[in-house]
Amino acid sequence: MFKKVLLRASLVISLVGLLACSLLSPETSVARSHPEGVTGSRPMCTDCHENEPMKGTLKLYGSFNHTPAFVKDHKFAANQDNGTCATCHSQSSCADCHQGKGVLSPAMKLANRPDRMSPHRGGYLALHRVEGKMDPTGCFKCHGRANNQLCTTCHK
Amino acid sequence: MKFRSSAVLLATLASAAAWGQDVNVYGTTLVQLWKQEGAGFDKATFAPATQFLGVDATGVGMEALSVHLFGWGRSDLADQSRFEGKGGGELMFGYLKYRAPKGNLEMQAGRFTVNQGVAIEQVDGASVRADLIGGFTLSAFGGRPVLYKTIDPASQTEYDLQRDVIFGGRLGKRFSKYGEIGVSFVQDGTTSAKYMDGSNTQDYTRRQVAADLRFTPTTGFDLTGRTVYDVNHHINEPAGTDSNKSKIAEHDYGIGLRFSPMFGLNGTYTQRNFRAYYAGTNLPSLFNRYEPGKFQSQGLSFVIGSAASLEAIIDVKKTDRETYGQATRFGGDLRWRPKGTTMQTGLGYHRVSADDVPVSGVFVTTYGISYNEIRAWLTYEKGKLTASADAIHHSFTDKANPNLYGKSSVYEVVGSVGYQAGTQFKISGDLSYGVTPLLEKETRVLFRAEFRFGMASKGGK
Repeated sequence: MFKKVLLRASLVISLVGLLACSLLSPETSVARSHPEGVTGSRPMCTDCHENEPMKGTLKLYGSFNHTPAFVKDHKFAANQDNGTCATCHSQSSCADCHQGKGVLSPAMKLANRPDRMSPHRGGYLALHRVEGKMDPTGCFKCHGRANNQLCTTCHK
Repeated sequence: MKFRSSAVLLATLASAAAWGQDVNVYGTTLVQLWKQEGAGFDKATFAPATQFLGVDATGVGMEALSVHLFGWGRSDLADQSRFEGKGGGELMFGYLKYRAPKGNLEMQAGRFTVNQGVAIEQVDGASVRADLIGGFTLSAFGGRPVLYKTIDPASQTEYDLQRDVIFGGRLGKRFSKYGEIGVSFVQDGTTSAKYMDGSNTQDYTRRQVAADLRFTPTTGFDLTGRTVYDVNHHINEPAGTDSNKSKIAEHDYGIGLRFSPMFGLNGTYTQRNFRAYYAGTNLPSLFNRYEPGKFQSQGLSFVIGSAASLEAIIDVKKTDRETYGQATRFGGDLRWRPKGTTMQTGLGYHRVSADDVPVSGVFVTTYGISYNEIRAWLTYEKGKLTASADAIHHSFTDKANPNLYGKSSVYEVVGSVGYQAGTQFKISGDLSYGVTPLLEKETRVLFRAEFRFGMASKGGK
């Protein structure tokens, strides 16, 4: 079954890939890294850039301003434009929180950065029994299919 | 991926990195000493030492090629361990990447994290993405899913059999200045429990289709969201269950309005149907796909000011889990950076008012889970020295809540000092003390050493 599916998938990917190569956009790719060092915990792109479409994304610079809502729901921007995120953030900074198999909670790893959004601060082991009753789907995003080896200590 | 394959991949990529024109090696060493006492727990002392290590090498043979490696290793210096075994480690990602100068064409091979529409996965395989003419974008990936242990050996065998391969892709259309829409697909495992012999009771496979959108015609308006559909063929649900049959796994939408640089209003709406949303879980005892009903939430937040000086956020979020009840979280956060200083401070208060939890027994009783949360934090820099403090206090309304073991006041305080020993090396130490219902007293000391060597690129972190 595996070989059959892999063969079909490879064939489809190759054909789509060949087609895509002939249709590749001539636009310049997003820069590999931001040419100037960016400081501050929550930069606003429009502090320096005009609010015009960013090359390589066609979205306005302002749509990447790090407002509180953007930081909280950054999954939407990262999902469509992770190349833009990568100009300033290395993938290992994503892995501070997004871990397939974690060894340390983000709150513990980043205890010296209370200004950063970090889940599980403040004795969360006890609080999760309360929060989990209200919204277990919030736990699922990180612990539903991976990163749950500690959960199985009690949830067998 | 088997250990031998991981070792070969790691060795190949590590040696390839040595050919890079621009090589960065970075890492964080963490040594903890941790004492805990609690109801139902033995007194315990843990001393885990953890090393995170990463390598980014660009210009490997040619300008457009790069190698990226990141992982961790752990060893317990004390007799007790919070994890299985006294040591362990994980390669979180390790891949070769080709990045073309035109059309955002990227190709990756190795172990990497896919973030394409509905698929947010760790994969051992290959991926490609590109922008096409006419504003279209196309991405695809395939390989073996990175598998993690389930609870018991029998389940593990079935899990490994079901999740044999993963693949998916996304087609998007960008509208210059306005935003983007996309459709995506993921298939995780081809041997669904429905098609396996024997009495398989758990689906570990997943097949989902999603539509996503982002509409941002001005800085003052931002509409984002996605809807995920479950299109898998599932086994019949166990007799006597009354699960939610909806094929919609999730609606997750947000809208942001920015009236001026100093004022913003944001709203969110989420709906999740358990059977479809929990598809593919490897922890079915916790994430019960046959739970009746659904989960919904609506949120609203109002932002005044700017993070560069003074910012206030007032927020309210209402949640509704049909099998439990409703809860409302309301409160605010204040963040202040005094002009001309290197200090930043924050203060927050939230009240969670939740329905009582029923307890079935001879007589049906209830207990409350409402609580108040207060948080205050501070960061400060002077020359090469850094310092921070963080305190969180939770006070629960109902002391009879059995999860609290009679303790309604819970807190944790963390203090940290650091020294930037050079441009590429920083050391810091944290001391934390907490009182929680589960762990009556918890004291932790953490020593942290961070380094980064090489020709660091510009940009952020």
